[in-house]
Amino acid sequence: MNGTTTVTLAGVGGQGILLGAAVLAETAAGAGLEVKASEVKGMAQRGGSVLSTVRFGEHVWSPVGSHADVVIATELLEGIRGLDLLGARGTMVCASTTRITPGSVLRREEDYPDDLAGAAALRGVRLVAVDAEGIALQAGTLRAVNVALLGAASTVLPFSEAEWRRGLETAVPARILEVNLRAFELGRAAVASQEVES
Amino acid sequence: MERQLFFSGNEAIAHGAVRAGARFACGYPGTPSTEIIEATAGLEGIHSEWCVNEKVALETAVGASLAGVRTIVTMKHVGLNVAADPFMTLSLTGVNAGLVIISADDPGMHSSQNEQDNRNYAKFAKIPMLEPSDSQEAYDFVAEAFALSEEFDTPVMLRTTTRISHGRGQVLPRVPVEVEPRDYARDISKYVMVPQYARQRNRLVLERLEKLRRRAEESPLNVLEAGSSDFGIIASGVAYAYAREAFPKAWFLKLGMSHPLPYAKVARLYDHVSRVAVVEELDPFFEEQVRALGLPVIGKAAIPADGELDQEKVFRALEPYVQRKPPRRRRPVMPPAPKLATPPQPAPGLPVRPPVLCPGCSHRSVYSALRKRRLAPMGDIGCYTLGALPPLLALDSCLCMGASIGMMAGFNKALGRKAAVGVIGDSTFFHSGVTPLIDAFYNEVEGMVVILDNRTTAMTGHQGHPGTGLRPDRAQGPSVDIQKLCEGIGVRCVTVDATDHKALDTAIKEEAKAAGLGVIIALAPCVLVTREQAGEVVVDEERCNLCGLCVDLGCPAIAPGEDAIAVLETCTGCGLCVSVCKRGALSLSCAEDPS
Ligand SMILES: Cc1ncc(C[n+]2csc(CCOP(=O)(O)OP(=O)(O)O)c2C)c(N)n1
Repeated sequence: MNGTTTVTLAGVGGQGILLGAAVLAETAAGAGLEVKASEVKGMAQRGGSVLSTVRFGEHVWSPVGSHADVVIATELLEGIRGLDLLGARGTMVCASTTRITPGSVLRREEDYPDDLAGAAALRGVRLVAVDAEGIALQAGTLRAVNVALLGAASTVLPFSEAEWRRGLETAVPARILEVNLRAFELGRAAVASQEVES
Repeated sequence: MERQLFFSGNEAIAHGAVRAGARFACGYPGTPSTEIIEATAGLEGIHSEWCVNEKVALETAVGASLAGVRTIVTMKHVGLNVAADPFMTLSLTGVNAGLVIISADDPGMHSSQNEQDNRNYAKFAKIPMLEPSDSQEAYDFVAEAFALSEEFDTPVMLRTTTRISHGRGQVLPRVPVEVEPRDYARDISKYVMVPQYARQRNRLVLERLEKLRRRAEESPLNVLEAGSSDFGIIASGVAYAYAREAFPKAWFLKLGMSHPLPYAKVARLYDHVSRVAVVEELDPFFEEQVRALGLPVIGKAAIPADGELDQEKVFRALEPYVQRKPPRRRRPVMPPAPKLATPPQPAPGLPVRPPVLCPGCSHRSVYSALRKRRLAPMGDIGCYTLGALPPLLALDSCLCMGASIGMMAGFNKALGRKAAVGVIGDSTFFHSGVTPLIDAFYNEVEGMVVILDNRTTAMTGHQGHPGTGLRPDRAQGPSVDIQKLCEGIGVRCVTVDATDHKALDTAIKEEAKAAGLGVIIALAPCVLVTREQAGEVVVDEERCNLCGLCVDLGCPAIAPGEDAIAVLETCTGCGLCVSVCKRGALSLSCAEDPS
């Protein structure tokens, strides 16, 4: 609303959603925009669904928005769930090869859905599906799924590579910066090549 | 005719409680509430006890109500501050058998450190409130309060002030109310206030308040009394008595059920008179609500907002207004029932992903052992509250921090046996579990408490507490030994390694059989802190018949595969699943000892 962009990161507790949000917030702030963000903490490590929102623009009033322009989902089910968060003409960037099975599915009480593309098409949402897990592994650690996906999402967000780099350097602890910079680059490149193909 | 009795309000409440079928009374002394429990203690058919403080008293009362007996709990006004944590959430859970909270206020501070107006608490918690104006009403209103409590599934506040509690008057005894004890039915989504259930209950509270308001409109406790002058007075409690004497010709709206306010009845008073005053001690509680209806009213601009009133004060304050030109007539604006937010609908067909106990969490071991005993586990707040969710369904209640032990005590006392067990975390034990343990010892409760000692405040992010001695900067300070603390109180206490499933099971089994009160400390540091890999679970696919016993533990690291159980890489090797397997299909290959 009013020239504000809303990005929501969706995933599972323990996936580094909060770090991903911090990188995005630092990047936007470094680009000279006003940034407001909000996360619901508390159970983040107990395997529940986690959402974190970052909003940026010339002037941002509220820390959360009713709808997101972009949802970055680090897990397939959370990606499908996250489609409901998107407003009209929204974009879903999803780690479509990452599946973390919830208890009810493990116990075979419910089924794990997998038609992200169908659900996105039904809503008229632009979908960027990424093998973030593969990319993270290639970069050196599965834990970098969040940042690999951010690299993918960077292609739909209005920041330069240099701005992203500054954001990563500010938010990511030095000890894991290297591998995350790699994951980011690979994620960004993966989408760029997808776009050339299509 | 029955002999009339001459009772203080407090004695009247005690007798009124017994007459209304109350079987359990507890409280903490404080003027002007004290004599209620002193009086019930002398009566037949009701159990009376002093608790260690008002919070524990309320939690004990909740336990007794859940066990199925009508219960009163008494305290002075400031006592409700101490009990505010259970009080506020009790509005959401509601009750089983009727539960009446008696708050005795002290305008004028005869014997108190402040003169807070506890009517605000009834409004704050969105529960009904009754205010007797003499001893007869104090006697009668207890039965009314119990009836409301059970009909509307809510605690009810009976509010007195010093002059009602300590004033005396004749009381005509009434026919006893016949009530049967209610059965207790476990109802996790009603009594375990984790966010997903509390949100649902909260909507019911808001709807209940509107239903109660309609009841207040019809209730004979709220009476429009005709007068012969053009002056009307809204009042409750002793202020009503003063105002009646000061203005015998006035019209009155006497509020016996004073929350929620019956708006239409208020408006009706304005049909009969052109000037209306609210006579109330302390806060402009009714006045603000009447003003919100857009009606002109004489209130705290004339009537003192501090101290007690009396006839003369009321007369002097209002007399000038009786003569004055009446304000222009205005129509009341009835506030609409508040809108409720549309509850977020879970997306159809998508599995929910609630937070769960981690793989290897020692809380799960305790629940696995407790499940085998026929005891209602009264829970508390911490990571371990997650055990109330499917598939474990391991807790019956979660009201507020520290409530488990008091609720267990009240439950067991009311049933006269070890029927419930209190389950509490180590940080929560230090927060507010020590006082109810002292209480349970003092009141000779038959019961068991399991302290889930994971050596940290895990739920909020692994902060230190007095048991660990850790400070916010992770510096080490002195620490308190929980076992010594319990033993110091005089309670039997054992510490069991919670990773030793067999030992834990035996300890819980033994304590469940033992007489008296005992504490089991189930000790195992939080796996998120230790990140310990205790070993690897190996599945014998030949033996596994997918019976589901291990799956029922709700461990995120176990899943039924096609032919046998699959153990996922998040497994920490705690071995709990191995211990529950009846077919020997699971075994633990221990991690290499590095030393
Ligand atoms: C009055 C109050 N203060 C604080 C909290 C927040 N809180 C919830 S549980 C908890 C402590 C949990 O620690 P513990 O009992 O050790 O259980 P664990 O999470 O470690 O299993 C706290 C501080 C609360 N719910 N209520």
